[in-house]
Amino acid sequence: MNYPRLKDWLDERYDWEGIKRLAKSKLIPEHRYDLWYYTGGITLFLFILQFVTGMLMSLYYVPHIDFAHKSIIEIVTKLNMGWFFRSLHHWGAQLCIAFLFIHLFGTLLLKSYRKPREMVWVSGFILLGISIFFGLSGYLLLWDESDFAATRVATGGAGAFPVIGWFIKAFLRGSMDVTGDTLLRFYAFHVAILPILTLGLIGVHILLVQYHGMSVPLSLGTEKQKEVPFFPNVFYKDLSIWLVVMGVLVTLAVLLPPEIAPKADPLAPPPENIKPEWYFLFLLQTLKLFPGEILGLNGETIAILLVACAILFFFLIPFFDKKSSRGEKSPLFTWIGVIYLLYFLTMTVVGFLS
Amino acid sequence: MRRIGIAADFMKRFLPLCYRVFVLAVSFFLTDAASSRAAEKAAEKIVVFPSTPYDSYLIYESLVVFWLFILSLLVIIRLKLREIERIQALGVEEEDRDAPLLE
Repeated sequence: MNYPRLKDWLDERYDWEGIKRLAKSKLIPEHRYDLWYYTGGITLFLFILQFVTGMLMSLYYVPHIDFAHKSIIEIVTKLNMGWFFRSLHHWGAQLCIAFLFIHLFGTLLLKSYRKPREMVWVSGFILLGISIFFGLSGYLLLWDESDFAATRVATGGAGAFPVIGWFIKAFLRGSMDVTGDTLLRFYAFHVAILPILTLGLIGVHILLVQYHGMSVPLSLGTEKQKEVPFFPNVFYKDLSIWLVVMGVLVTLAVLLPPEIAPKADPLAPPPENIKPEWYFLFLLQTLKLFPGEILGLNGETIAILLVACAILFFFLIPFFDKKSSRGEKSPLFTWIGVIYLLYFLTMTVVGFLS
Repeated sequence: MRRIGIAADFMKRFLPLCYRVFVLAVSFFLTDAASSRAAEKAAEKIVVFPSTPYDSYLIYESLVVFWLFILSLLVIIRLKLREIERIQALGVEEEDRDAPLLE
């Protein structure tokens, strides 16, 4: 395709040739682990899809306890293709968080967090936390009985955190229990506060990746790797993978549209065998491992404190792993990463089956 | 069968008519309540996918067409990428450093 007038128009204003030279000069190392580079791109693509489908649904959603559930039913049953966009948004969220975890564990096991890329890890980790909160806040917006009970459990669990737990719980709920105030608060988080934070952090994350360049795994040694230009080589591969992910997402949305449970009733007992979203299952199973009381202290508080310490350690791994920052292999942190991954997978599967 | 016969005789001889009517009425109401609850539950289930066969057929057909479109695009991108790599391997795009500058 050749549009000389458009090219001239751009050239006169924005140094189009300079931008093209810059895109071609960005080089990506090519090696046997380079498939992991694409997980970040997939996550970005899914984030964009979530923004688009979320914007479409926000045109019809009503954040009020009397109308929230009804508006979701209307989106699904009355709007043209409403069921499809809701299903896309649901499955997009599941895949987005799954790819975030894959990207996180890939980065951890390949030691891509090592010096000088610590802040890339930090920004990515915060993005994962925000995405999980996106999931939690979006879950309540349905205002159905299972999501209502799950939010009650999740916000109640946050309340068991020592010293600041009561504040977190009150801040999340906006009142004593999960009420209309909580719904409005979660809506504000879901459609305004979290998207702005996400956009800013994605910007920082991508900027840092561009600044530092792609990390090459330590196991490949220090010899010079073969490099390919980002544009057009890697760009086209990215595009191919995005197309496949789009296909999988649409297939899931069509074949497995998410159900809508009956409307939440704050006075009714919670439904039996209530389960949170899959990415909270490991947390729930960990809490179940602890007895109600340990040495006179609240077992739940101790469990939450231990989980918080484990997550904090995970977050600070780049600053503890001194060996890999010196360019040496650090099998200890590889094992730590494998243990974290196995624990997460095992507890999620156990939580799913129980 | 013999035991059922004995129970029937027992019912006929010893239970007064009003008691039998009462048992029948209670069992009728219980059955009715259970069936209406089941109907209520079925009514509560919200249809999250177009239920008419024509709409479902259209959606599944569109899904197949969508996948064919994706596969075609993948083939086109693959061909384009191979051509780019071939040109890059020839070194045609590289700038000739010894080329004389034209005034």
